Amino acid sequence: MNHLRDVFITGVGAHLPGAPIPNDQMEDHLGRVCGRDSLLGRRALRWNGVKTRHYAIDAEGQAFDSNAGMCAKAVRAALDDAGLESLDYLASATTQGDWLVPGHGVSVHGELGCGPLEVASFQSVCGSSLMAAKAAWLNVRAGEHEVAAACAGEFSSRWFQPAFYEGTSLVDAKGRLAAEADYLRFTLSDGAGAVLMEPKARPDGLSLKIDFIDVVSLAGSFEPCMWAGAPSASRSDPMTTWSHAGPVAAHAQGAVALLQDFELLKRVIRAWVGVYLKKVDQGRIEPAAIDHLLCHYSAESLREELMGLLEATAGMIPREKWFSNLPTVGNVGAASIWVMLEAFLRDGRLKRGQRVLCVVPESGRSLVGFMMLEAV
Amino acid sequence: MDMTPTQSATAVSDVLRRLTVVFTDFEQRLSATPLIRRLTRGRFTDADYRAFLIGLRQQVKDGALWMSRAASNINDDQLELRSKLMRHAVTEHRDFRLLEANYVAVGGALAEIRDAEKNIGSEALSAWMFHEASKPDPYGLLGAMWIIEGLGNIKAGEWGRLVQQRLDLPDEAVSFLLYHGENDAEHMAEFEQMLGLVLPDEAVARRIVRTAEVTARLYALQIEEMTA
Repeated sequence: MNHLRDVFITGVGAHLPGAPIPNDQMEDHLGRVCGRDSLLGRRALRWNGVKTRHYAIDAEGQAFDSNAGMCAKAVRAALDDAGLESLDYLASATTQGDWLVPGHGVSVHGELGCGPLEVASFQSVCGSSLMAAKAAWLNVRAGEHEVAAACAGEFSSRWFQPAFYEGTSLVDAKGRLAAEADYLRFTLSDGAGAVLMEPKARPDGLSLKIDFIDVVSLAGSFEPCMWAGAPSASRSDPMTTWSHAGPVAAHAQGAVALLQDFELLKRVIRAWVGVYLKKVDQGRIEPAAIDHLLCHYSAESLREELMGLLEATAGMIPREKWFSNLPTVGNVGAASIWVMLEAFLRDGRLKRGQRVLCVVPESGRSLVGFMMLEAV
Repeated sequence: MDMTPTQSATAVSDVLRRLTVVFTDFEQRLSATPLIRRLTRGRFTDADYRAFLIGLRQQVKDGALWMSRAASNINDDQLELRSKLMRHAVTEHRDFRLLEANYVAVGGALAEIRDAEKNIGSEALSAWMFHEASKPDPYGLLGAMWIIEGLGNIKAGEWGRLVQQRLDLPDEAVSFLLYHGENDAEHMAEFEQMLGLVLPDEAVARRIVRTAEVTARLYALQIEEMTA
């Protein structure tokens, strides 16, 4: 009974709502804050390199899906991919679910509409995907369940509507939105992804055996770097977050918006590199033995000195081994790694016996996750 | 000593990787010190900045001195390394004057910063550096240089901009931090060259990393001990 089982990803699903939206149509879907075009938008797009993305909000500003709904569709797509009808464990991840209460896990189960399940909810930012995956992996590994799903979804565009910013301290007298808010509007978009895990490989085609999932938080040393629920100045103090002020006052303070601290981000990036190099040093990750790297990261934004550092320390995985669909699907937060994995498997470049490293950094409060897979 | 270029490059990149890990741990420890927390959380005052300058001055003044002493203890087989250390010491040995000027620019009296006592961390750091520099062939000090240079290249500019923004100061009041923050990619290449002069050698590699660890810890202690 104390025997741990090998666990395999046997199905992957992605759901991207609606048609791909090109850069010049983004603000039709997001709306224009105080009726004016964004000043920062084009610069943000150059920085992140995204060309098209998806929104679950149409050009008239009407939502046509929900976060839980997109997740349920991704789970069904993963079940179809694996050739399965049902599951018995569901771990769900998101940055912000449709409800404040209860959790995302039961919301996704509700949209799936299937019979009783064990569920778990993971809420953070991009890294919540791997938190959910780790729970699903360990549940199957320990023999608790036979078919587990880990899903992740984001409905970021809902947060980027003008009403979240207008009438708050984030907009100046001329109607210009603060950079720490506007940047994210041009970076994040909507969608969901899911993986299925079983204690045996699929009978046909390739499965991905999970070697390890490591999630490392450095929040003990860092202030929030991407957050919502507090204005910038007092964001480090949990006693002054939005519910202390109440919803109306919190909105006026600009506390009901997603914000990013760029200066801090530079430090956080170095800390991620430190965590990665420590794993290289410990032999947990051997760069030369990696055949494919799926890094949830805007490759275009990796600064040259960072590349230089990875090369100088023999930590670099050559660029030709990187796979990313960021330019076409955008940054889908927690869902990104599954949306990327789905496209990677469809691409057909993976061969049996090859090793795939997935890396999911989360600037939220400086967290980074790693997942090592082997094609069998 | 017949090492192939590949062995040498691998030894250098292995040490650089271990040093990078030491530096990122160090950076996190620094960010948890009371003074730096006040700076990043926006509660930093003029008095904090003056305490910061006083604390830094001791170590900056000593820096060129221990480097000169280290150079004088390097044997004749490593003349290139000795030259580099001596040049480095010459470049930096007047920098503490800049700190004094900054101190005066934020309303401090010159005599105050000159006469200030070293804090406990500075005492420990200074004693450690001179102790190491006094040994024959003190190659481990390359690890100390990595930490202190890294602070100059990576942290100084960041801190300088924050101080300037929080306290609304003119450039001449933060010139030491801003000047050291001018990120210099050549530093990395030069440091790699220096490592290449003494590696591969497993004992030296271990000593470099260990010296970096000790220096980082004592440096953080110095900042922990800085209070306005």
